[in-house]
Amino acid sequence: MASKPNVATLYSCFASGTDTTVSLIEVSISPGIPSFSVIGLCDSSIRESQGRLKSAFKSCGFNMPKGHITVGISPAYMKKAGSAFDLPMAMGILFASGQLYLPPEVKIYAEGELTLSGEVKGTPGACLRLKTVRDMDFDYRVIPNNESGSAGVADFRGMGIKNLSDLVSIFDENKYTETGFDYERSSEISQMLDISMLKGQEKAKRALLISAAGFHNILLMGSPGSGKTMAGKILSGIMPPLSRNELSDVYSLSELVEGEAARISEERPVRIVEPSVTVGKLLGNSMSLTPGELALANHGILFADELPLYKSEVLDFLRKPLEERKVNLVKKGELYSFDCNFIFLGTGNPCKCGQMYERGSKCRCSESQIRKYQSRISGPFLERIDIFSEMRSISGNDMASIYIGDSDSESLEYRKRVETCWQIQHERYGNGFLNGTFPDEDIKDLMRIPDKVIMYASEMAEKEFFSARGFTRALRVARTIADLNETDDVSVDDISEASLFRVKGALI
Amino acid sequence: MNETVDHFKDFFYSAVRLNTEINYKTINELICSKAIGSYRELADMEQLKRIVGGSCELSDETTTRINQLIDSYSKIQTIANEYKKIADTNGISVVSCEDDNYPYNWKVQTGMPKVFYFSGNYSLLDQMVLKGSIAVVGSRNPSKYALYATEKFCSELGNKGITTVSGMARGIDRQAHLASVKTAGGTIAILAGGVDNIYPPDNKDLYNTIKQGGLILSEMPPGQQPLRQYFPSRNRLIAGLTDCTLIMEAGSCSGTLHTASFAANQGKEIFVLPNNIYYENAKGGLKLLEDGCNVLVSTDSVVDSISQALMYKRMTMGNKEDIYFDDKTETDTEDVGIDMLRTLAKEKPEELDDDKWKLLIKDMLTLNPLSADDINSAIQIPFYKLSKLLTDMELNGTVCQEKGKYSLTFV
Repeated sequence: MASKPNVATLYSCFASGTDTTVSLIEVSISPGIPSFSVIGLCDSSIRESQGRLKSAFKSCGFNMPKGHITVGISPAYMKKAGSAFDLPMAMGILFASGQLYLPPEVKIYAEGELTLSGEVKGTPGACLRLKTVRDMDFDYRVIPNNESGSAGVADFRGMGIKNLSDLVSIFDENKYTETGFDYERSSEISQMLDISMLKGQEKAKRALLISAAGFHNILLMGSPGSGKTMAGKILSGIMPPLSRNELSDVYSLSELVEGEAARISEERPVRIVEPSVTVGKLLGNSMSLTPGELALANHGILFADELPLYKSEVLDFLRKPLEERKVNLVKKGELYSFDCNFIFLGTGNPCKCGQMYERGSKCRCSESQIRKYQSRISGPFLERIDIFSEMRSISGNDMASIYIGDSDSESLEYRKRVETCWQIQHERYGNGFLNGTFPDEDIKDLMRIPDKVIMYASEMAEKEFFSARGFTRALRVARTIADLNETDDVSVDDISEASLFRVKGALI
Repeated sequence: MNETVDHFKDFFYSAVRLNTEINYKTINELICSKAIGSYRELADMEQLKRIVGGSCELSDETTTRINQLIDSYSKIQTIANEYKKIADTNGISVVSCEDDNYPYNWKVQTGMPKVFYFSGNYSLLDQMVLKGSIAVVGSRNPSKYALYATEKFCSELGNKGITTVSGMARGIDRQAHLASVKTAGGTIAILAGGVDNIYPPDNKDLYNTIKQGGLILSEMPPGQQPLRQYFPSRNRLIAGLTDCTLIMEAGSCSGTLHTASFAANQGKEIFVLPNNIYYENAKGGLKLLEDGCNVLVSTDSVVDSISQALMYKRMTMGNKEDIYFDDKTETDTEDVGIDMLRTLAKEKPEELDDDKWKLLIKDMLTLNPLSADDINSAIQIPFYKLSKLLTDMELNGTVCQEKGKYSLTFV
């Protein structure tokens, strides 16, 4: 009884962490004892699909064909997981059994999970997958309706379906129309804290502005209740919104990790990490290739509150990513790197009682206690901090004016200044680099720092204002200050202001 | 041979004092009842047995303590040997109150140690008798002002041949030693633990300098850790060894005040550096001034007080040599119409140039160290301008930044 197996072929894509692979799905139905097998190193989430398919077919008026059903998913040597293969498998079975009309010689792309009632649902990683297949040549592209946000961000064109029975109209009635997808941006920027709330903290305000304007890592230390955590929330509000490409970078990762809970927003991401965070959580998991907090903070802010409470080895693991602005993960000998181009914002108390920066001598810590407390942040780590500002608690009058006085949105004005400043820098460097992130070390000519300024700065270095690394860092900060003033050359005034924000002298 | 035996008895005495219940009172009783002639006889087993044997009348308490000593005699002997070994390897010597070279200032007072240990230049103690000495004490966490004054006074008095005695702690103590170690007067550190125990450990550099050019003393045997309860007793020794005491900066409840009260009880003159009355860390010193201590304004008054003490000493000891103090003049400081500037800053800030602003900032910092934000809230100038001024002032050394606050450097 040699009967030719009936084979239907479709394309789908799977994401193992951030590593996406386009895969070919073949369904063959041959006469025999009814059986269902999925081959190609699939884990049980794919093999369990048999139950979902059976029930979904029944709900939508299709039948599970009798016979020997084999689903092969290639590349067969890679381990695969996830339920996004449900829809292509179902379509393959319907085509192969003749329940749906398969137009000859067409390439079909499909992804989505099925519910028992036949509805098609999205799965995490959609944005990454759709980005991968966006520019490939397919005749039909079918995705779940609720992945339309991801599709919009990924700039993917295709057709969204809600239910398995929608397939009938596409293939039997030939009503396939390919469209782009719109996505709604939630604009919650107005709810951000305004920088005008930082009254009486001129140094911290200026530090935040410079930090945002040049993408400089910043450390704020001060007494409890001086508004450090608030300053962290203010920083993202004074940065320009994400560009189209940046939004796509940010959303594709956050969608992978958070699934449907991820918001599509032009607001820059603020990833808040706790002192109990592990190295794995920060850098990402190299086995499953899931991005860590550093990668998720790309284009935004990594906010580490209570920095002195962190384990020192956790902080020291941050040093390389802060320098290279990349996290590298190695899986089976292959290197995967994630961009992590963020502003590192650290806050903390300067000493155990926290009162070191207060007026008078409120601090009751001994010299050795302070030293011990501050030594938890290692010297090499502090070298990666461009801007430091101490914060002391504000006096009673200032308190009243925060809540009673004029609440004009100063943040918007700050943001406009930062936006102009970024434009100047983009023209200078191209490629979206800013003063704080430009990788080249030889910056003197490009940043237009006259010899006079270098001389002045080296005089400071001689008086032990900065270390060697701190020296170039200060020059970069000075460039940002000059950009904020919209001047072509860095001036002596700029470098002398930059030196005010150095770490040395403020800590022991 | 004789000498080594004698000194072993001194080590033995230290071991007895630290490891048995025998205290100052017990020994006094033994000597008063003529059971022993000297504390050194405690090392004599035969003598001890005679004492408890009933040859003299003693209180029950003393008898039990002597019995305990007899029981643990071999243990105490091992400890004393241990001390001696450490002393020999570290070049530490022992001096007893029965020796001729026991310091005069301690000899004339009660309650001073019977034996003490030293390392370094012992002739300083002889020189002190002729030229005089000061105790310099103060906060471990001092203001720039107090540090500056300490440096000035110690080097100036040191150049006149007056010896500085202090406790080798952080802050004022450290500054006092550093300023005086190279001067004619020299420097003496009295430690709370054994002479070989460097405390605090970060003063190791200072310890080595003093060991070479000065003298390090302790009443504790070698190897002894500096325990918390030893510090007040150490302060008593500092006050006792010197002719007058300088208090550079003292908080309202600090160990410096202990030293002051010891000095007062011993009838020594106390000089207190006057300080800003709103400065928390100087409250203790100001209280002393209120109680009638001398104000430390110039070295002259200190020198006067020392010559008086020395005169008295010479009367009791017999004249040996004249006292001679060198003199040096000091530079004066400028004075500007600050009040005028202050009003100008409020009413017409645009009329002030950088130098005037700097004068104003300098004026604000004379009271207390301030952060950049504090200065900014007091004088309303744009922050970028203030930052430029502060960096300039820091660069030419007018102000310095410490713990996030700016303070004057006094140079």
